[in-house]
Amino acid sequence: MTSWDDDIDAMTDDELLAELRAAVAEAEQVTDRQREAARAAFTWRTVDAELAELLHDSALESAAVRGDDAARTLTFASGPLTLEVEIDGDTVMGQVVGAAAETVLMQRSIADDFPLPVDPSGFFRIKGVAPGPVRFVVQAGDWTLTSPWVAI
Amino acid sequence: MSAPDSLAVLVSRAQEGEQDAWNAIVERFLPLVGAITRQHRLSPSDGDDVGQTVWLRLVEHLGDLLEPAALPGWIRTTARRECLRLLAARGRTRAVDPQAGGLDAVTDDLTDAELLAAERRQALRDALAELPEGRRELLLLLLVDPPLAYEEISRRLGMPIGSIGPTRARAFAQLRETDALRNLGPLSLGGAP
Repeated sequence: MTSWDDDIDAMTDDELLAELRAAVAEAEQVTDRQREAARAAFTWRTVDAELAELLHDSALESAAVRGDDAARTLTFASGPLTLEVEIDGDTVMGQVVGAAAETVLMQRSIADDFPLPVDPSGFFRIKGVAPGPVRFVVQAGDWTLTSPWVAI
Repeated sequence: MSAPDSLAVLVSRAQEGEQDAWNAIVERFLPLVGAITRQHRLSPSDGDDVGQTVWLRLVEHLGDLLEPAALPGWIRTTARRECLRLLAARGRTRAVDPQAGGLDAVTDDLTDAELLAAERRQALRDALAELPEGRRELLLLLLVDPPLAYEEISRRLGMPIGSIGPTRARAFAQLRETDALRNLGPLSLGGAP
């Protein structure tokens, strides 16, 4: 593979100008909505947050293993806590394992935190969840699990 | 317009919590993220969701980012990965001939060539930002499509027509020597974010 340096050295000014035109056009395709959303992401900055590890996401498996019709499953772990989440259309259900969960919050990037009712066995289920980035914050005794953001 | 703050300065200021520095980082890489989501043919709303997820992930990751030079690669890798994740979650991996090496392999191969082109365009935008204002303005007028007559460019820049050709040549020579174009090594597409 030729390096980029070789490429530009071989290019005429006119060819470079054509590439430059495409580069500038690409920047002009950015929408205000994308820009505002990207800037607003900074409000989620926390200095001390330790994120749960993503142990499993069925969407990262090969299509042959996954099967295209199956619900998506994700597993996060932090300390003794494990959070299993299943996403099937607009229904999100899951279970906290490892300690008795007191609260499970569903956070959306552009909405208020949404507390999910969680039963004594750590199970929760909610319908009508819109697509978009989501993360979960579980509180169980002294333990907190904060998942990384994931687009659903 | 003065020379843009280096990425190292912007990252360090964003790590301190400065929204302006974050906005500058975002402004610089939004076109790259947009190009990658378009290449994966996500729906516009899924593309926006992936883009937003990349920025949220970067906010999470910002404190651990010790080497600012790794940021463009991190953004590129994360954007691509999040696109493939959401496509898979939607059950929309494209059907291709299984003889050709399997779904995921083919998708990745297609994307590598397109990513390389997106990376070049990113470097060119950075290179353009490094140029002195006069030369940048000239190049921006020269790439207007359909092309402007030299008389019009002369009028807008207050530059004699006879100077446009030589200035153009010097601007391109300088562009080729910018850090953005000189420092762009071979693409490394690997590496988990």
